Amino acid sequence: MKIGGSNLNLIALGLVVSGILVGCNGDGSKGGGTNNATAPEADTWTGNEAIKIGCVTSISGDNKPWGTDQLEGCKLALNEFNHAGGLDGKNVGMIEGDTASKPDQAKLAAEKVLSQGVIGIVGEVSSGNTIQIANSAKAKGVPVVAVGATRTDLTKDSPHVFRVCYTDAFQGPVMATFAFEKLHIKKMAILTDNFLPYSQGLSDSFREKFKALGGEIVADEKYESGGKGLPDYQGVLTNIAKKNPEGLFLSGYFTEVGPITKQARANGIKATFLGGDGWDSDTILTSAGDAILGGFFCNHYNNLDTSAEVQGFLTKWKAKHNGAEPSTTMGALGYDAMSLTLDALKRAKTKDSKGLLDAIEDTSGYKGVSGEITLKGNHGNPPKKAIVVEVTKKNGANWQKFAVSYTPDQIK
Amino acid sequence: MSTLCALPLASVDFTTLPQQLVNGFLLGAIYALVALGYTMVYGVLKLINFAHGEVFMLGSYGALFTSWMLGFGPGGNEALTGSWLTLVIMLFGSMLVSGTAGFLIERFAYRPIRNHPRIASLITAIGLSLLLQYGGQIFLLQGGKQAINSKVNPFADDLTFNLVKPDPKLAAEAATYQKRVDDAQVAKDKQFEHESDRFNPSAFGVSLEKTLNELKESQSDISNKANRTAVTLKIPKGKLIMLTAILGLMFSLWYLVMKTRMGRAMRAVSVDFNAASLMGINLNTVITFTFILGSTLAGAGAMMYSTFQAAPIDSFSGAAPGVKAFVAAVLGGIGNIPGAVLGALVMGIAENLVTWSGYSSYRDAIAFVILIGVLMFRPGGILGSNKVEKV
Repeated sequence: MKIGGSNLNLIALGLVVSGILVGCNGDGSKGGGTNNATAPEADTWTGNEAIKIGCVTSISGDNKPWGTDQLEGCKLALNEFNHAGGLDGKNVGMIEGDTASKPDQAKLAAEKVLSQGVIGIVGEVSSGNTIQIANSAKAKGVPVVAVGATRTDLTKDSPHVFRVCYTDAFQGPVMATFAFEKLHIKKMAILTDNFLPYSQGLSDSFREKFKALGGEIVADEKYESGGKGLPDYQGVLTNIAKKNPEGLFLSGYFTEVGPITKQARANGIKATFLGGDGWDSDTILTSAGDAILGGFFCNHYNNLDTSAEVQGFLTKWKAKHNGAEPSTTMGALGYDAMSLTLDALKRAKTKDSKGLLDAIEDTSGYKGVSGEITLKGNHGNPPKKAIVVEVTKKNGANWQKFAVSYTPDQIK
Repeated sequence: MSTLCALPLASVDFTTLPQQLVNGFLLGAIYALVALGYTMVYGVLKLINFAHGEVFMLGSYGALFTSWMLGFGPGGNEALTGSWLTLVIMLFGSMLVSGTAGFLIERFAYRPIRNHPRIASLITAIGLSLLLQYGGQIFLLQGGKQAINSKVNPFADDLTFNLVKPDPKLAAEAATYQKRVDDAQVAKDKQFEHESDRFNPSAFGVSLEKTLNELKESQSDISNKANRTAVTLKIPKGKLIMLTAILGLMFSLWYLVMKTRMGRAMRAVSVDFNAASLMGINLNTVITFTFILGSTLAGAGAMMYSTFQAAPIDSFSGAAPGVKAFVAAVLGGIGNIPGAVLGALVMGIAENLVTWSGYSSYRDAIAFVILIGVLMFRPGGILGSNKVEKV
């Protein structure tokens, strides 16, 4: 009796406690319901799920504007996926890794998410960091879907590496063709950031195409944005100014391109500035002032695009960010990379790295925000369209004016 | 000229040499401010203060935050422009921050282990450097590299000197094109107002564009020819002011070291640490003073570097200038004050000469090659003593 009594007491206590808990849950979900209209909803995962995807990116450091956009894009895609029923009714989790915009930290971040059992990795925004992540993931056979890594040889000999962006072998020629055919530039100067594999690759493909078209490279200079190099551009700009080029191709990142364009104008360089997708952050407007206005660069998509995919994505993004649009293209690419991975996960025959890898490899005609993505038979490099945009004064969040778009067939 | 072009130094252009020498001199002047800190600390303590680059970095942040306090921060008034007073306040802000940093570093990192073997101090210095670099990632701004708003510098325009004028005959010919180019430009702009897509104009638009481009090309060909032999020297006024300030600071330093009691004490300590202490010199005061002095100079250099060179700042941005200045100090003879200035100027000019010769990708490598070359023949540096030292 005594034992039974205590049991009954326990049961009663249990009921009371669970009642309180249920009550709390009820209140909580109601509160969440009212919050949903105004504040962003909570994430749908805790990181303890059976199936997890890693999101490795530059959450801090130089490339923070890109990294945070990628992270937000990935979160948006995963929340959408889980709300739509997840994987057979179960939520998929995400583990974040911060590369601090540095290759050595990228390796650590990749190992961290790998040790927590992710079956796929989405990231990174830069090529140098993606190379490190790919190396770490290779041994475990974990597929890596790169977001903004455009360096051409990234996917070479790495069957587990994919990307949702175009390559530098494409965007360099796009800018060369645009400069030569649309801007009628014959004499071009190139300024490369020797610290970035991205910048070197981009300058190479640009140079080759521009020469092939019949243009002349009058100056080919280098600087280093990191390592033991000092960001002093005066010397190279003096050389370029003397050659009086009509165009100056700056293949580096926005952090350096801004100050360079400003100093280039001060050195009397009247050339039109051209660049790659490394320019894509509105902070370039503050560091460059008026010097950068009228410059052109290659990008992946444009917020002003009226297609259903872009506008649908923007509506979802704005709902989560108090009406603000993504300030860089990495929001859309991050969203595409994660959605594509999750789409592949659904199709995967086995729900592990091997199955996921095969399913990603098999992706064909996936309709992403940044255009259609086909990985099947493309060795990880989807043939995608590129757009050339002009830098204009800021109007709301928009500072890029669409100029021309190129498909891979137009460039060959 | 044509034979020169066949040589590996294909892009050597002697008309830009004066400009590159000036560029190098101005860069070297900044290196010098940082190198002085290394050399003075080495002089009194025989310690390579590897955290000196980070003091420089903190100085840059000092300048950045001061500029923000003066209203040049993000979201500040767009119309605001700086005056000389802004620059002076920023200079003091940055010198204050780095001076304080130097004081704290000496007091809490080096003083407790001053009587231990020197290797302990050296390791502490390296550790401190890493601590400040990576600690800065947490406590300083995380929004990536920040740059000082260029509007703080009201002296952005150049002083231009035409040392050799462009070929007058060709220049006059180029000028005759100007009116035709302008007319073609007006005609094209007028037509392009009606074009729906400026990159796919109508046939008429294409023909106007073609005329304009051909005119522009012939004009630029002739003016390029005219300018081929021209030698112009452009010096931004801001950098001239910077150079004046640097010379002023160096003169003050010279006065402090050579003409004051504290300077005499510093020199005594650098000759013989223990004997100086026996003669009644307060070692702690002298060493603290040396650290503050060296750090303040680094702060001044940091302010000038981040303002006039528009160098982006993050918590690692002191590492590269630190290494360069250290090399400059060793090149000039570490422990020797005029040597540090000389070494820094040699470094700055050498780097720009490498760029000038068309090998900008090897710029930093060459600096170290020069260092090795000099040290092979003068192990103590250009002005240093040849006494063998162990570090």
